[in-house]
Amino acid sequence: MADPVKQIRVALTGNPNAGKSSLFNVLTGSHQRVGNFPGVTIEKLEGYLDYQGVRITVVDLPGTYSLTPYSPEEIVTRRYIIDEKPDVVVNVLDGTNLERNLLLTAQLMEMEVELLVALNMIDEVEEKGISIDTDQLEKLLGAHIVPTSARRRQGLDELLDHIVSMCDGQIEVIKNKMTFSPVIENAMEKIVALLGQQRELGSTNHRWLAVKLLESDREVYTQVRQYPVWVKVELVLQEAITECQRLHRTDPEALITEDRFAFVRGAMQECVRLPRATRASLSDYIDTVVLNRVLGLPVFFVVVWAIFQLTFTLGAPIMAGLQFLFELLARSVAPLLPNAMLRSIVVDGVIVGVGSVVVYLPNIVLLFIGLSFLEASGYMARAAFVIDKVMHRFGLHGKSFIPMVTGFGCSIPAIMATRTLKSRSDRLATIMTIPFMSCGAKLPVYVLLAGAFFPPAMAANVMFGIYLLGIVVGLWTAWMLKSTVLKSDSEPFVMELPPYRWPTLASVVFQARMKALMYLKKAGTLILMAVMAIWAASNFPRSSRLDEALVLEKARIEASATSPEVKAGELRQLNSKVQAAQLEYSLAGRSGKIIEPLIRPLGFDWRIGISLVTGVVSKEVVVSTLGTIFSIGRSDQGAAGLSSILRNDPGFGRATALSLMVFVLLYIPCVATLGVMKKEVGSWRPVLLYTGYVLAIAWGASFITYRLALLMQ
Amino acid sequence: MKLSELKAGDRAEITSVGAETTIRRRLMDMGLIRGTEFEVLRFAPLGDPIEIGYKGLLLTMRMNEAEGITVRKLPVEDRHQHVESARSRVRFFRRG
Repeated sequence: MADPVKQIRVALTGNPNAGKSSLFNVLTGSHQRVGNFPGVTIEKLEGYLDYQGVRITVVDLPGTYSLTPYSPEEIVTRRYIIDEKPDVVVNVLDGTNLERNLLLTAQLMEMEVELLVALNMIDEVEEKGISIDTDQLEKLLGAHIVPTSARRRQGLDELLDHIVSMCDGQIEVIKNKMTFSPVIENAMEKIVALLGQQRELGSTNHRWLAVKLLESDREVYTQVRQYPVWVKVELVLQEAITECQRLHRTDPEALITEDRFAFVRGAMQECVRLPRATRASLSDYIDTVVLNRVLGLPVFFVVVWAIFQLTFTLGAPIMAGLQFLFELLARSVAPLLPNAMLRSIVVDGVIVGVGSVVVYLPNIVLLFIGLSFLEASGYMARAAFVIDKVMHRFGLHGKSFIPMVTGFGCSIPAIMATRTLKSRSDRLATIMTIPFMSCGAKLPVYVLLAGAFFPPAMAANVMFGIYLLGIVVGLWTAWMLKSTVLKSDSEPFVMELPPYRWPTLASVVFQARMKALMYLKKAGTLILMAVMAIWAASNFPRSSRLDEALVLEKARIEASATSPEVKAGELRQLNSKVQAAQLEYSLAGRSGKIIEPLIRPLGFDWRIGISLVTGVVSKEVVVSTLGTIFSIGRSDQGAAGLSSILRNDPGFGRATALSLMVFVLLYIPCVATLGVMKKEVGSWRPVLLYTGYVLAIAWGASFITYRLALLMQ
Repeated sequence: MKLSELKAGDRAEITSVGAETTIRRRLMDMGLIRGTEFEVLRFAPLGDPIEIGYKGLLLTMRMNEAEGITVRKLPVEDRHQHVESARSRVRFFRRG
């Protein structure tokens, strides 16, 4: 097929829940790319399709109700439309909820863009018996209307036909202007005249700038204020405010909004006929149960529990399967590489590194299947409604709850799940809370230490206490962040509860696939590099003296006249001794010794120091490093053996064990978490500051724990 | 009176929207302008936020935000009048 010569850029806009993303998916299929809008962490979805020899690029702009400068989504949408000038702006409307949806349409009309309206969910409109006079509505909106249904793939070709012929100039659209109250129109006329005198402002759309100035739009204010004409403009604005107050007893901003709604109401009355019967919908019935005073919270907790189970209980066997596959791979590759160094690089470095990236995938995919189901069905907003009061107390948003709970399984999908939060400061605070929710990888550490130093009944209490401490520190962190550095722009809790809808399989799968790819592409490389760096640090430099001694000792054992079993046992012991000595000699080992003076007050010696350093790869590595360094071969005894060795070690006691558990709970999140954090936060600076913060907290808490435990002994 | 002082099941009409700029704008863009009539549907199980319904829309907000909105409570019988007048309006504009 020949390359399409003609290129068209289309932007999709619309309210949240208007079916914009579904439309985007059915239009572009698999030709999609996820990026970010410059400077913000809002996903920019771009896709393309070839239609009748034309390459149509579609950009899915974030869902918005309006075009104010107060939310990043709305700013991004505005800027894209103004700066990138898409050939066609498609406004996707939820046909069952036109009155609210048309407010955005009115604002797009003000921007004088090449507007095309997709009257979406037309199937539901017909089912509900709503009739819409599209011909008349087209005249009022000054834009063509194409009925569509993304779910049923209706009207897609018509939409594309319209887009193509609009760009060919085959369709003549008679634009209609939004008209405001006389006070506003008067002021606008004066402002437009003034703006025309300022050549730097260009010749485009002064009317829109005038509306925005009257709305006290801070973005447009700063834009116009830098020119001399501002002095005169300001006078007009002052006058408009006084006049508005005198005639309408309100301010221009409110009056403009009222005018827009008046326009919408007029259009509704002229063009839309709602069904006579206004019986309570199924949605209302569900809500009387789900948001019930008594049942609301239990239902909420059951849903959260179900999501957690889906992600981690169902994910566990898949994860184990993946781990098994990687071990199998390592075992089958190892014999093929005769050189010990090369073998170590490939097996312990590359395979383990890739494995540690891939192993989180099942959790991520499952969690996002669950979350996108909740989001698309309409329950997510209700969950936020139910739990918001509690979260708000700590400065968080109702929507922070589910990502936080997910953190008990694994921080990585949890941090990715904070995307449901719209405000950046809410997201940051939630992200920084998540690593304190004790994740699954920390559990083996607690099991080992609590099991080794406490009787079974006490051990459970100790572990419960550790989890509780994590929650307390996490919420305290959120509260502290939100009352200091993140004090600004908390998202106002003004949230629509969308009607319940049965999510389509395609959209759920799409979301999960998108997240998986994003994780692999963006965080995967970072994690892989970090894992390999730590591998290198725990293997280099190597002591050649030790290697030589190993060879000599081996020869001595082989030559001795004992039974083969004794020989094998001695060899195994020798190997683990040398392994431990090599680790001690390596960079990681040395840093364990270097930090010893720092961690001595917490009851840790250099051996624990080393396992803390390697534990940055993943918390369960703390256990395996303790195993190596306390000189037991991995192959024999196992964890039970390790716990008795720790118990009998003079450097270890109850106080040290408690202190270590607290430290592992609170200190640096694993490299995978840091990688995802960097990705979601957007830069290294906050991540590094955060790392410093958690180290300080961990040190302080462990110190207190250690001293108290010593006192109580 | 304030929106936050209403009880579940109450109907009221908005007389003015105060609150801080960002929230005020958000509320207005959701259609909470002078003259909008709504019903308080429920409070969250813990008493905050509040949910109101109007024009086929379910909106939730915190009590903090609800405090900035002044309303005029509508008597119960007003409700039927309102529905009736809306219906007659619909009939009036019926086309074809």
